[in-house]
Amino acid sequence: MQRRNSGFDMSTPLIAAFALVLCGLILLPMTWLAYYSVTDKSGAFTLANFKQLVTDPVLLEPLLTTLTIATLTSLICCVVAAPMGWLVARTDLPMSRTVRALVTASFVTPPFLGAIAWELLAAPNSGLLNQAYRAWTGAGSDSHLFNIYSFTGLVFVISCYTFPYVFVLVANTLDRIPGDLEDASSILGGRAFATARRITIPLAMPALLAGALVAFLQAMTLFGSPAILALPAGFHTMTTKIWSLFQYPPKAELAAAAALPLLLLTVALLRAEHKILGRRGFSVVGGKTGEPRLVKLGALRWPALILCIVVMLCPVFLPYGALLNATFSKVASKVVSFDNFTFHNIEFVFFELSATKLALKNTFILGILTATICTLLAVVTAYVTTRKAVPGYRVLGFLATAPVAIPGIVLGVGLFLSYTRPPFVLYGTLWILLIAFVTIALPAAYQQLQTGFRTVHVDLEEASRILGATRLQSLAHITAPLLRTSVIATWCFVFVGVMRELSAAIMLFTSETKVISVLIFDLNESGDLAAISVLGLMMLAITYAVVILANRVPGFGGGVRLRNT
Amino acid sequence: MASVELRGLTKRYGSLAVVDDVSLTIAHGSLVCLLGPSGCGKTTTLRLIAGFAEPTAGEIHVGDRLVSSPARTVPPERRQMSMIFQSYALWPHMTVAQNVAYGLTLRKVDRATIDQKLNAILATTKLDILADRYPGELSGGQQQRVALARALIVEPETLLLDEPLSNLDANLREEMRFEVRRLHDAYRYTTVYVTHDQSEAMTTADVIAVMNGGKIEQAGSPQDIYDRPRSEFVARFIGSSNVVRGPAVERDGVAFAGGVLRCNGARLVSGRDTPVSIRQHDIRLSATRPSDVPNVFPASVVRQVFLGGSRDYMIEVEGGTQLRVITAAEDDIPQGAPVFIQVPPERCRALER
Repeated sequence: MQRRNSGFDMSTPLIAAFALVLCGLILLPMTWLAYYSVTDKSGAFTLANFKQLVTDPVLLEPLLTTLTIATLTSLICCVVAAPMGWLVARTDLPMSRTVRALVTASFVTPPFLGAIAWELLAAPNSGLLNQAYRAWTGAGSDSHLFNIYSFTGLVFVISCYTFPYVFVLVANTLDRIPGDLEDASSILGGRAFATARRITIPLAMPALLAGALVAFLQAMTLFGSPAILALPAGFHTMTTKIWSLFQYPPKAELAAAAALPLLLLTVALLRAEHKILGRRGFSVVGGKTGEPRLVKLGALRWPALILCIVVMLCPVFLPYGALLNATFSKVASKVVSFDNFTFHNIEFVFFELSATKLALKNTFILGILTATICTLLAVVTAYVTTRKAVPGYRVLGFLATAPVAIPGIVLGVGLFLSYTRPPFVLYGTLWILLIAFVTIALPAAYQQLQTGFRTVHVDLEEASRILGATRLQSLAHITAPLLRTSVIATWCFVFVGVMRELSAAIMLFTSETKVISVLIFDLNESGDLAAISVLGLMMLAITYAVVILANRVPGFGGGVRLRNT
Repeated sequence: MASVELRGLTKRYGSLAVVDDVSLTIAHGSLVCLLGPSGCGKTTTLRLIAGFAEPTAGEIHVGDRLVSSPARTVPPERRQMSMIFQSYALWPHMTVAQNVAYGLTLRKVDRATIDQKLNAILATTKLDILADRYPGELSGGQQQRVALARALIVEPETLLLDEPLSNLDANLREEMRFEVRRLHDAYRYTTVYVTHDQSEAMTTADVIAVMNGGKIEQAGSPQDIYDRPRSEFVARFIGSSNVVRGPAVERDGVAFAGGVLRCNGARLVSGRDTPVSIRQHDIRLSATRPSDVPNVFPASVVRQVFLGGSRDYMIEVEGGTQLRVITAAEDDIPQGAPVFIQVPPERCRALER
């Protein structure tokens, strides 16, 4: 059979172009960040910024506070999430699917929204829980049960929205431990306790450790919750400190120097996580093995469920209730009744508040653009790395994963420094936010699609090539249709991620380029909690719609990592 | 169609040579089996021929075209080859007809010709009633035939098969062996067939190339390989031989069990330790010493099993060497009894290594 002469393979220059884009996204801001951190106002080389960082108590204290918060959060998360993960994955806990769904709900709740909801619940005077306490005990109007504006309050709220990370890792690992590993222990004479101690727990241990590190990381790089809760309480964390260094008068050099330790710590922690999970690939154990046997809880089934529900009060039921209450109440701090029920808040947010329309427009433009660009970048990169298509594919994979090690606030600083000066002046435009969001969302999108590509066996592409298709033809005819579901899911999750991004946006917005998350943050500063509740619930509604849509797409694996902000 | 020639083909991953200086000529229209245990480099060789991998050294020629060398590798889509994958690699989002017609569609063949060829190949492979099914709705054997049809419809210069029958159950596998051979006789494509199953190779191949440790141990017709193995590996791998060892004495004998085992095959160097291969059913057992024949040794029966059509013995000769012997079912010598073994010298094959 006569073959037509296929032309030049277009994939090589295309891939080179992608590598260049990825380089630009990451290297430019990080280079400026490093440059600023070692210069003074006049641009001369100096180490004074770092000296001030470790000697000035104004800077040193937030660093210590941050590390304490992160450590405590990490511990609390493990203590709560590990038993819950075990209950859900390995026992006959009733309604375990519901418990999983509730954890997912706290997973997708933006932490800054959770923090604001807890303001509604546990602010010392107006908090609903404190009002209830005073009404119930008859205590004086100046006494309170909880004070969310405190170190303890902050750790509590951060833990509420960080423990799902640990839970997901532990539960997924326990899910995947093949039943016959435990059966093999039983048949050799291991009783339930011995099997748990010698087989199940050691197998799940790496996941728990990795979860602890991830929780530490989340708590360390979070901006929203500390900004909302710590600032009124009069103390700073690293992220809020960096942010405040950009308030008037801006001290960009010092901010850059303060951002570097966060960056280095993140890199170190991620390497540790990788090492823990990578060395013993338990999570990939699986396949054609038996269903794990479930531990019978017996009489403890219902108490165990109640315990889980009580835990889930904190991140889900109470905060969602508070937001709903504030939405329909004339006064945010009063419980809804016939007297003060109102739709005015909703009307106010959507028709009177001029900022809403702009923020919604910006958010949707950015969300759609970011999701599209990111998915495109991730598809190509994941293809190249899973198929080892070009020499140097590892570099491409590394570049796409690297942003995971850059905390949002650090990226915000880097981008601010890069794009407020020639040759690229993008500050004040949506472009700078677009760059930030693409960079932040890229690692998760890449990971997602890499998993997708792995499920499309390489034989399927090679079968097409041996029959005469070029690489790009094979991609179009075979890979693309098979990958469609993963691509849609990835797009959805990037979109949701953009909506909840705060820590980079807070460094980069101007009055014309506000997005919803920034608007919510602004409204919190002006104390307009009812408006926040309306916006927050809307945001949650969109998030759930998209998440459910993406999960309905068949063939979509879990393990999505939404980034906290 | 054209011949395929491998010249000093080598593929290294790091310092490990997975394919090590392989040279082989596959004549136009013949079917060559690459046979060997897993990890012997046969699949890598096939992928090198297909163009999915680039050689570290050596060349591959198809006809008078150089298609692979370390400097330049023609991409798989321009080699005018077809391949059947171990996993079949059927595209789950396309129907049987779409899967099969894919190669023709790529070649921009007009619709009428596609339909005509599609119907012909579907009829030949008995897939016509399944044309609109999806691969997920087919049985293993049906999937296998779709893979076959998809590879054959483009009328390739070279057909590559990577363990195509290994995912089928035993009965179907036997049936498909003859089917592969029948189709090859009908179409006469130059074919490279990779397998680890020797009876599959015996049934299908014109030439068998036995591979071990990245090298070709021996290549020849199935009968040649079976009757005249050159190495211990080949003797054991093909038709499981007894391999005994002893120092060579004279020009055609090897010291064995207190006597001399007369044999043919490799040229013997007196005094050098030499392996000799003896097929299990070439050994004759008798209760009394046979007279006037060479290569008779006393032995004892260690165990014997009645297998219905035959008997399977383990016997031990002087010096403790044990040999497996298959005899006719009626040769019943009880366990522990003394016995004489006799092997015709032309059936004792001295090996090179």
